[in-house]
Amino acid sequence: MKIEDIVELLREDKPRVSSELTHVWAIFWANFKIFLSYRTWVVMETISTVASIAMYSFMGLQVDARRMALAGYEGVNWLSFALVGVTTANYLWMCISRLSHSLQHEIREGTLEPIVSSLINMRSYIIGQSLRGFLVSGYFMTGVLLVGIYVLRASLAICLETILSFIVVILLMIASYMGIGIMAAGLILVYKKGDPLTFLFATVTEFLGGVLFPLKYLEGIPILHTLAWLMPYTYALDASRKILLTGATIVSTQVFMDIAILILYTVIFMPIGLKVFRWGLDRIRYEGTVASY
Amino acid sequence: MDIDKLIQTISGNIPRKQTPIYRIIASFIIRDFKIWWTYKFWLLLDIVGIVIFILTYYLFSFITTSQQVQEAGYTVGGYFTFALIGISFQHYVHFAVQTINESIRDEQWNGTLETILSSATDFKVFLLGEVCFSFIASSILLLMSILIGMMLGAQFYATLSSILTVAILTILLIASHMDIGILSTGVIMKVKQGSPVTWAFSWLSQLVSGVFYPLKLLPWYLEWLGKAFPLTYSLDGIRLCLQSAKDLASPEIISNIMYLTIFILVATPIALYVFKIGYDSARRDGSLGQY
Repeated sequence: MKIEDIVELLREDKPRVSSELTHVWAIFWANFKIFLSYRTWVVMETISTVASIAMYSFMGLQVDARRMALAGYEGVNWLSFALVGVTTANYLWMCISRLSHSLQHEIREGTLEPIVSSLINMRSYIIGQSLRGFLVSGYFMTGVLLVGIYVLRASLAICLETILSFIVVILLMIASYMGIGIMAAGLILVYKKGDPLTFLFATVTEFLGGVLFPLKYLEGIPILHTLAWLMPYTYALDASRKILLTGATIVSTQVFMDIAILILYTVIFMPIGLKVFRWGLDRIRYEGTVASY
Repeated sequence: MDIDKLIQTISGNIPRKQTPIYRIIASFIIRDFKIWWTYKFWLLLDIVGIVIFILTYYLFSFITTSQQVQEAGYTVGGYFTFALIGISFQHYVHFAVQTINESIRDEQWNGTLETILSSATDFKVFLLGEVCFSFIASSILLLMSILIGMMLGAQFYATLSSILTVAILTILLIASHMDIGILSTGVIMKVKQGSPVTWAFSWLSQLVSGVFYPLKLLPWYLEWLGKAFPLTYSLDGIRLCLQSAKDLASPEIISNIMYLTIFILVATPIALYVFKIGYDSARRDGSLGQY
């Protein structure tokens, strides 16, 4: 090909696609293709996840059913109890950290500047990256649940109503934390690091939410017990357990209360997160530090 | 400056002073401490992570029964002490398996490996220097974990002979896991990415070595698999000492020590051989400094 032809080709005025939906799809697809290229990582992560669930099933053999009953989980097998906790906690962690991870990656690789200066709206970027996060986390969550139910024989109340109710609760859980995820991404834009905070946040959430033990046993430490019930995850896990362990649905009174609280958290955190992100983006544009790391 | 004088100065044969090994090692420790100290927030996160992990198993122990732990021969302390020993000694496992390959990977990543290796520092001294600070840090984290556990009510039989036996078992634990680390480093130097050896070893040993539950709870095939891992024997021995006051006079402890010694005798030449292949191959390709 002649150089003149290349120059001509680059000069050609192509109408730019400004549809936000196309941008979202493009970002999602580009990142999903990157994910698919890490086949070894996917296989290794899948095996590790299955191994950790198997480990929980052996830990469950030491649990005293009477002590579970005392905590309000009469007749509930601990493996099923832990399975719901572990899957929801992992899903939340993977979704929330997705945005901050990808932004940190773009900053490190020096690709954030082209994205910011392109026609792509940052909203499309956030949605596209988040969709990729939902899908990948969904793969691991479904895998863990299937292994738990069919291989390790965890007894969960599975029917169309409970599955739909569980999906609603998961979506609300993500929505209630999305504000925090977006906020963390905004802070990463400015301070160029933030992963430690997201890690700390995930560890504390998992512990206080009662993934491996009933929250009744946290009552002995009143500060931690109060903190636990200030976190949206505790309500999401409580609702998920009511649905998958006892067969309740979103229209059941006890689940409905949890859902109302999750909606309230979404309404509070989402605008704050978006505001912080906008502030971060404006600041690095103004300071000219989009490309710096 | 006169160019000829400069060339003459550089060409001058200055006899190199042999620095004693202990001073080189001390320099490595000081260097690593300085780097570690700059990441104070990460340090704080590590400590918070450890506290939360121990608290989780403390609360989990409220819903467990000590029956299986006692049936396995660990008479004192119940499930919490059992899990605490598993969690605490994981610091040494992590140190022994990961330190060498992590430090070599970091030096490659930062582009400093080639510089170090082309200096007068011997490669063996370099490796020893790289692991020393991690050993000190892991020991501090282990002691901290035990202390937190004791504050939460973990109980141990601590006699002089049982503590001495624990020290011997700990040395064997580190030596046996160091072989896995050396082998894994050899693989990393060749393939330039996260070693599948470390990965497979980590999740398998967590699953079958009885870190969080006695081995008897596993199905026969996993229990049998668990017997191939040095961590199984190290943890069993350490628990028998700290939870049942056993010492070197006990046949169970002697059998654990024997197994670990055999493992080290067999694994060390294999690990060193794989490491040599990886190291020589990377040097031949000129890719030692690349990651």
